[in-house]
Amino acid sequence: MLRKSLGNLPRVGQLCGLPRRLQSTQPEQKEPEDIAVIEQRILKHPDYFQVHNLFTVRDLFNARVHYGHKEGSLDDRMRPYLFGSRLGHLIFDLDKTASHLRDALNFAAHIAFRDGIILFFNRNALNAHLVEQKAQEAGEFSHTRFWRGGIFTNANVQFDAVTRLPDLCIFLNTQNNVMAQHTAVRDAAKMAIPTIGIVDTNCNPNLITYPVPGNDDSPAAVELYCDLFKEAILRGKRERRQLLGLPPLDETLPRRSRKPKK
Amino acid sequence: MALRVFSLNLVKTNRNLLQNGFKSPAPPTGHMAPAASFATEVTVQAAPAAVQKQKVSKAMRAYLKRANEHDEFMKTQHLEFQIGKRHLANMMGADAETFTQEDVDEAISYLFPSGLYDPKARPAMKSPDVVFPARKAAEFDETGRPFHSLFYTGKPNFFQLLHDIVEETNKLADLEERMLRRGNKPDENQKLEIDGFHLLPKDQLELLLVESIADIEYSNFCNSMDRLIASPYAYKSKTFIERFLKPLMDQSNQLEVPKPKIDGEGRQYITTYECLRKTARADVTVRLPGTGKISINGKNISYFEDENCREQLLFPLQFSELLGKVDVEANVEGGGPSGQAGAIRWGIAMSLRSFVDQEMIESMRLAGLLTRDYRRRERKKFGQEGARRKYTWKKR
Repeated sequence: MLRKSLGNLPRVGQLCGLPRRLQSTQPEQKEPEDIAVIEQRILKHPDYFQVHNLFTVRDLFNARVHYGHKEGSLDDRMRPYLFGSRLGHLIFDLDKTASHLRDALNFAAHIAFRDGIILFFNRNALNAHLVEQKAQEAGEFSHTRFWRGGIFTNANVQFDAVTRLPDLCIFLNTQNNVMAQHTAVRDAAKMAIPTIGIVDTNCNPNLITYPVPGNDDSPAAVELYCDLFKEAILRGKRERRQLLGLPPLDETLPRRSRKPKK
Repeated sequence: MALRVFSLNLVKTNRNLLQNGFKSPAPPTGHMAPAASFATEVTVQAAPAAVQKQKVSKAMRAYLKRANEHDEFMKTQHLEFQIGKRHLANMMGADAETFTQEDVDEAISYLFPSGLYDPKARPAMKSPDVVFPARKAAEFDETGRPFHSLFYTGKPNFFQLLHDIVEETNKLADLEERMLRRGNKPDENQKLEIDGFHLLPKDQLELLLVESIADIEYSNFCNSMDRLIASPYAYKSKTFIERFLKPLMDQSNQLEVPKPKIDGEGRQYITTYECLRKTARADVTVRLPGTGKISINGKNISYFEDENCREQLLFPLQFSELLGKVDVEANVEGGGPSGQAGAIRWGIAMSLRSFVDQEMIESMRLAGLLTRDYRRRERKKFGQEGARRKYTWKKR
């Protein structure tokens, strides 16, 4: 199902491109606009990047997004997103998850459109490789390792120079382990960096700007999230490059490990 | 002139200080022209619908400022070096244009002779490129966006390496799965041979990655590499694995074995001088081919009355199976019988290296034949009968 909906993407892209092509037939009359103006205008559109067609609730169901943890581990703040419980396991209400996820995807696409830096987080060793790979494919950044304190809050010292911090953090799980929250959630909040987080039934959604209730452990679910965010980001980037008249993204994508010159 | 030379030296010793100076991010001062090397991509397509104001991030501005300062500094250093070189050339009466670094070193050691033990402490004049180490280039573009996907981990190269190892491991696991389904087995002939190799040690890995890593991170690297190597299809990723393997150094390979000389009778011979053991000193000559003749200070093996000493002498010959095939001549002085026998034994073993193959040399080394025995007589202590022995003492 997911593949089918992703397969529709080029068509959606064409639809998006249509009004612009009409514009470009009469370029002499229109001066090229400043991208900042366009950015503002696009914000008014409820779903400019058409992220609603990236997935369906059935996709979520197939990817096992509705599985929560056991009843005893429930964080009370997650109660509104629950559908119920079955055999002692909590089940998410996927309709609510879907609407939250669409908001998050829309936000991610807008950030990518504005040339923001997006950093993926994940502390689950099982999914770490997948997350790193997808972040790389999206041309973005990932941090799936032990979080040294102060990467955000003391960046200029940590990196030995003035450093640009990410503009959006995407947490594919917000916990370090079952007991403790990822320190970067707190640090991002401190530095006023917006966050998107997949929050399971045992997580605290309070510090997350765009919480998405859902299963954050199963590889199938994490792969679905990664694919969705990657696609949303790429849509934002493609749109920007098209507007600026830059060559399409796929040619410039391989920006792999450039080794620092000594 | 001397001042100039020494001031350069001073600069050299203070370079850490200077560089710390660069590191400190200076407050952004007004407008800074972006360097030409950071030109943006050329837009090829006609009539873009939007334009973007060129923005240079704070990070890039700070980096450019530091880079500019460094360039300026290096420029003045180069200039001073050129002037110094000319002065030196004039002093030495040489042509300033063709005055090379070797000439500079020679001139400095002639004009400023120094008795300081450590060569690094002596006066020197070198190109600033050598004196000041190269610096890392910028890790981000003009908008401040880092180049590396794992930049925010702080050790992008190391974690990229771990990522690549997992990538390879997954590939091999997939392959194994497919082969298993088809009923194929891994090729035994192509099996990866890692005997005689070990993983890069931590310091060398750090050099390779240009990053310093913690002990636990190094052990993570070792574990994941071991896992990759343990795969039955590891030979498929041979090129990847070999980048991080290092041959175990054959200790005896490092010592150069002398080539035998030819004597008047056309026999090969090797003389080892300064064979030392305790206070004995010997020169040993071994000749091939021979009949097993042994002469020590003109006498045969009966020079040593002790059976133990004779055994000592014969052991290397017996070990290398050359007993009765070579002649041994030894001149030995000083020490007692066991010291003399030990000295000759070592001399024979060292000389025999030239007549046996590499494998035998290695096993001789492992047998301890090529190791100098540094033990000396232990002094007598007062209040004791000998070095360790105590006087008889009875309480009651």
